[in-house]
Amino acid sequence: MNEWLDKHMGRLFLAPAVTLILVFSIFPLVASLIMAFARIRFSAGGFKVRFVGWRNFEKQFFGSEQFHLIGTFTQISLLGWIFGLSVTAALLWWIWGYVRRHFTWFGFVGRLITLAMGLGITWLFAGTLLSGNLFGTIGTTLFYVLVGCAIQFVIGTALAYACSKNIRGKTAFRVIFFVPMMITPIGVGYIFRMMADTTKGPFSNVWQWVGLGDFSWAADPWAARIFIVIADSWQWIPFVFIMMLAAFESVSRDLTEAAELDGAGPWQSFREITWPHVLPIAATVMLIRAIEAFKIVDLPNIMTSGGPGIATESVSLQAYYAWRALDLGSASAIAYILLFVTVVICVSFFNLVVLARVRKQP
Amino acid sequence: MTAETIQNASPTTGTAKAISIRDMNKYYGAFHALKDLSIDVEAGEFLVLLGPSGCGKSTALRMIAGLESISSGELLIGDQDVTEVLPKYRDIAMVFQSYALYPHKTVAENIGFPLKMAKATPEEIDSAVRAAADQVELGELLDRLPGQLSGGQRQRVALARAIIRRPSVFLMDEPLSNLDAKLRGNMRAELKHMQGELGITTIYVTHDQIEAMTLAHRVAIMKDGVLQQLGTPKEVYSDPANLFVAGFMGSPPMNFITGKITGGQFAGSGAAFAVAGAADAQSVKVGFRPEDCRIVDKGAGLLDADVFTVEMTGDQVLVTLRLQGEPLVVKMHKDFEINAGVTAGITMDPEHLYFFDGETGARLRTTAQTS
Amino acid sequence: MSTQLTPKRSIFEAPAIGQMSMATKIVLYTLLLIWTAFVLFPIYWLIITSFKDAADVNQGPFFLPFVDFQPSLHAWKELFVTDYEDTLRAYFNSIIISLSATGLSVLIGSMAAYALSRVAYAPNLITILFFIFLLAMTGVSIGIYGVDWRLAAAVAVALFFFLARAVGNLYQFRLHNGDILFWIISQRILAPIVVVVPIYMMFQTVRLLDTHIAIIITYAVVNMPIVVWLMYDFFNSIPRDLEESAQLDGATMIGTFREIVLPLSRTGLAATTLLVMILSWNEYLLALFLSTTKAQTMPILVAAMNAGERGILWWSMSVAIIVMIIPVVALAIVLQKYISKGLLVGAVKG
Repeated sequence: MNEWLDKHMGRLFLAPAVTLILVFSIFPLVASLIMAFARIRFSAGGFKVRFVGWRNFEKQFFGSEQFHLIGTFTQISLLGWIFGLSVTAALLWWIWGYVRRHFTWFGFVGRLITLAMGLGITWLFAGTLLSGNLFGTIGTTLFYVLVGCAIQFVIGTALAYACSKNIRGKTAFRVIFFVPMMITPIGVGYIFRMMADTTKGPFSNVWQWVGLGDFSWAADPWAARIFIVIADSWQWIPFVFIMMLAAFESVSRDLTEAAELDGAGPWQSFREITWPHVLPIAATVMLIRAIEAFKIVDLPNIMTSGGPGIATESVSLQAYYAWRALDLGSASAIAYILLFVTVVICVSFFNLVVLARVRKQP
Repeated sequence: MTAETIQNASPTTGTAKAISIRDMNKYYGAFHALKDLSIDVEAGEFLVLLGPSGCGKSTALRMIAGLESISSGELLIGDQDVTEVLPKYRDIAMVFQSYALYPHKTVAENIGFPLKMAKATPEEIDSAVRAAADQVELGELLDRLPGQLSGGQRQRVALARAIIRRPSVFLMDEPLSNLDAKLRGNMRAELKHMQGELGITTIYVTHDQIEAMTLAHRVAIMKDGVLQQLGTPKEVYSDPANLFVAGFMGSPPMNFITGKITGGQFAGSGAAFAVAGAADAQSVKVGFRPEDCRIVDKGAGLLDADVFTVEMTGDQVLVTLRLQGEPLVVKMHKDFEINAGVTAGITMDPEHLYFFDGETGARLRTTAQTS
Repeated sequence: MSTQLTPKRSIFEAPAIGQMSMATKIVLYTLLLIWTAFVLFPIYWLIITSFKDAADVNQGPFFLPFVDFQPSLHAWKELFVTDYEDTLRAYFNSIIISLSATGLSVLIGSMAAYALSRVAYAPNLITILFFIFLLAMTGVSIGIYGVDWRLAAAVAVALFFFLARAVGNLYQFRLHNGDILFWIISQRILAPIVVVVPIYMMFQTVRLLDTHIAIIITYAVVNMPIVVWLMYDFFNSIPRDLEESAQLDGATMIGTFREIVLPLSRTGLAATTLLVMILSWNEYLLALFLSTTKAQTMPILVAAMNAGERGILWWSMSVAIIVMIIPVVALAIVLQKYISKGLLVGAVKG
């Protein structure tokens, strides 16, 4: 018995984790997929399920909910055409280059999926925003992810680099900068509502002075979105900061000092020595951040309830509202669309950026 | 008395057992790391596995320990087939190159760990730890952490941890290689003494031929996963089975000159002499040890060569000569004097010449006949 | 000659190797101090708001306590004296849930990570797909056709044990440790919204909605990928000699894990624990689905303060947020030195 246990202990160590994930992650995932093709009605003592095929998805992409998920479309403006066509050309050129240089079926199909997602997003952007139309929750979520991650990356990295230098009060800065990450997103939402209040908030005098005394952040679509990105960044820059700080500190002092001895200035030493070393780590950190950013739901819910209109609603929030309206089929379909977008973008980023960097390393 | 104290708490038998390795093979995917190894180790014997890095000696040891699976073949410890048995049931103890001391446990906890795992009572563990520590002279360091010990002390802790198990077999993986030269000499002597006293079968892996020569009852020399020669230190030194063993044993290593045999006559770089009992061969290597030859005047020896450098090591003088680009080393008495650049002769007794096939490396049973 | 070797220095050029020029220092400290203000001011405002009356908040910005306004403890009293039942219940719920979920997640996750870093697995893909198929069928039969869940589970288990080997022999395609690891870590991509509705219905079926257990298990699963990912790399960095030695010394895998591996992984465990703790403590969406009253956590309580008819009670809200922050900050200060070291291991190699 003891010896049997010893021999099978390896499996017993892995089993609890795998079982939990199968039951509470894979099973719900499959169930959710089934629900996405069904209409579910709660009735006494349970619920009734009726399969409706692609109807839930059709509604989101082409039907009554189209404006909500992807936006309103009229004619594509000249600017939209120029942007859309040029990005399309660039993407096609990129995939043609791949086919010409090194071709494997696996890599090709993967890149085709990336290409399809890229084209979809490009024309979504060209057809809504660049043509003066409103965009839906996918556009809003991408805005949060792209703009938010960019801001967090730049500021977080800059702060980390500054703190990696031999400065006084390093520990204090490190502790202070980490604090926002520990605050519940709900709390961050409310704190920033107080901050942004133009009549009673701490900066109301400033608003009066610049003539925006009765401006409401939450009432203007772009202001509201930016306002959410600022709160999100305030919360998550610490994450980028702490990871990048560790990355910068792992660069060998010998290397930078040798570079300085060889006559490199601070900028050159950063560009030639430090940056190449931390880049793979930076790519991984941003991948993690992007994965989490796609899930954004609490900040828009607390700060603006998705308003004005649907201007700040993320895809997750839209699915939540659908669930609250007891439309489980739509909620699942929307959630699956989010999952698809997230997976394609994150896997593409992982394969084309993170792995490419790793492969380049000796 | 101390041995009994340890014995009482120990999970294992403590009687030396024979080990029988039969056609043992190891594959890592397509890579054949160990080829048909067969060795019978007697109970109480000290066997050294010797070879350059990557020769499969560590793999063989880890397979005996049970840390690597056996791809094919059999392994017996005592009369029990342990091929499929988990390490802890094999009745063995192992000392690692890094000593593998648990950094978060004190010396006493480290030594007592095997007994703790065997669910001995704290009192039993305590007395056994003291006995084992006394045996390796660690008595006063029991409360320290490994990080606070010197290399030699860590080595002793690792030994004590192996002793306390009272195993039937000791396995040691280059245990002395992390010590400095002087300490290594001391520990070598202590190890040999301890093994003789405890009488436990020991398999010891090293790449250092001096350790092998001094410690072993028998040496097994390996190369590329293949056993080259198994014998007493004297045998492998004075009667090498092939070119590899001849070149590997001895420091400085054996000198070689290349040539060919035609009609009972050896002719090669700068030397020619008659040989007995030799078939014609296109490529032959003739070897002689630095300590078996002497430097004489030019033309008076078997061959002439140019002196390249002269190194004084204290107890002797090492003269390196060059014969058509190949170095030859001669060990001379410490009072010997010669200048670099001059040409000198080398001479030796004919029975100290070894002949090898230049292609296969196999030993040719040929003797030289010089006047 | 020598003039060429010492060109004119820019003000940013360092006076010596490894040092910074004055100008660089000024720029650096200015940036760092601006950011410190940006980080700390909202928190300062949060703290002073918790001591304000309705009038202090509504009549415009007052910055300095005792100067601009008279601080009062009324909001604190309200939360901890008048409404203490709600507050304390949510507080204890949060503590129990996040501690248990973190413990469970770190324990099970690091066991899995350790196993993946040390034991070679080669499960058959077809067997796994068969298992998932059975799982899905079980769900469908319970959810859609109303089969009793105990019966369905028993049938599925029986089927699996009878047919697993036969199905597995149809086609041999084996997965390896890397695949399993990737599969576990990739679960983190799942937005909670994708899985929360079925999870809600599962717990409804077994009548565990609005209980601690439901939320604890869900949090543990959601955070397990992080634990596995961080701890896997950490375990990989521990020398194997120690474990092999323990194995020879007679330790079982559990013994090795408890006696050798866990004590040597304190740094990684501390960082992972803190991270998972923060994530569980602050989680909102899943708790929103899985709790109503009894198991309500702090984030839900705080969010619910918005719903009152008097508009947002900023002062009470601030108190609630502050008491939520305190334990996390305390924990972070205790574990401070481990954070960046422990987290980096994953990022560098991941």
